[in-house]
Amino acid sequence: MTLDPVAWRPGKVSGNVEQSRPTASAEHDHWLRRRLLQRQLHDGAALRISALTLQFGLFRHQVLETDRHLQESVDGLQDQLHAVLQDLRDVAGQIYPPLLDQAGLGPALREMASRAPVTVRVDAPATRFEPAVEAIAYFAVTECLDALDGEGPPVDVLVRCDGEVLLVTMTGVDVRRARMMDEQVRRMGGTVDTPGGTEIGTIIARIPCE
Amino acid sequence: MRVALAEDGALFREGLVMLLQAAGHEIVGCTADGDSLVELLSSQTADVTILDIRMPPEPDGGLLTAGRLRAMQPDMGLLFLSHYAESHYLMRILQVGTEAIGYRLKEKVGSVDVLTDTLDRIRSGEIVIEPVLAKRLVERPRGGKRGAVAALSERELDVLRLMAEGRSNNGIAAQLFVTPKAVEKHIANIFGKLNLYADAAEHHRRVLAVLTYLRSQRDEM
Repeated sequence: MTLDPVAWRPGKVSGNVEQSRPTASAEHDHWLRRRLLQRQLHDGAALRISALTLQFGLFRHQVLETDRHLQESVDGLQDQLHAVLQDLRDVAGQIYPPLLDQAGLGPALREMASRAPVTVRVDAPATRFEPAVEAIAYFAVTECLDALDGEGPPVDVLVRCDGEVLLVTMTGVDVRRARMMDEQVRRMGGTVDTPGGTEIGTIIARIPCE
Repeated sequence: MRVALAEDGALFREGLVMLLQAAGHEIVGCTADGDSLVELLSSQTADVTILDIRMPPEPDGGLLTAGRLRAMQPDMGLLFLSHYAESHYLMRILQVGTEAIGYRLKEKVGSVDVLTDTLDRIRSGEIVIEPVLAKRLVERPRGGKRGAVAALSERELDVLRLMAEGRSNNGIAAQLFVTPKAVEKHIANIFGKLNLYADAAEHHRRVLAVLTYLRSQRDEM
């Protein structure tokens, strides 16, 4: 299955209204499809496997107390199902983070921050935005935080809705990461700036939101 | 034990009912959404109610329903099941209540022993948190993340982690191969270092200790 049906479009996009509209629309469709896939994983495969662990539990209960070998085999199978589900959770998180879908940008960013190797302070409003806007903002921050190692300074992530633009300001990050998020943000008709700093500095992503 | 449950996935719901029955529990009611469960429990009681977090009313009907149930029957235990173990949901669960409440992964309650142990602990008033989440929340502080728990020793952090899993003093002692008396001493030190003084009930302070740790990692709450 192809997860990225939106082909990359070369050429200038930023600031070009004629081009950015259909591109932004395709980007919205793209993220809606990803969100749907993530939900299908949850409601389908994940739930079936969870139900299977219950059936194994029932089976184990019916196995004779004396048959330790069979009981241990069932325990082993349940552990493997847990590992399969962990893999599915990882995949779901990369397709469209479930917490982002369910609770929005603030909670999803804070959850990510709590797992980062350095202190990450998140300041984000409780407001919900379009799925594409939330996802692009989320993955823009991920791009920056993925590059962090345990020794770096604290990072600040500030999310603000300024009229029709969602502003994501990341301070204390490697500004060279701006390149990685530029393409996706531009496809939505947005921009990525690095005001000052050649290594550790500030990245500002501006994502149009309605 | 008398158990009620609400889960919108039919396959999982049916499996859970069968496992609960095999464990010798009485199912007082079983619904596919929160509203039906509230209606059902307006005329019946249960010792513990099991709720899927993500079910109707969307998006997280389990939490909404739990709040209503706690208001209706404050003594009834609540066990949340989810496909995800996230600190975001733990915070929201602890806002519903800090006694007789639990949060576990769906695939981790798939045995008679674990299911019964979880329900027993909730019924007796404990907080039961999925060990993988408890561990993640209280894992060794890294870099500048120490905050409010900077003053804790390695052993005190071990105790705090086990407290976050909802373990009793005896349970913590058994896990760490020390005496319950030593655990009490560690906990008193933790309360002291986190500025949790004796004006609150012991159980309440335990929860506050864990929450203080969480706050030190997340600039929320």
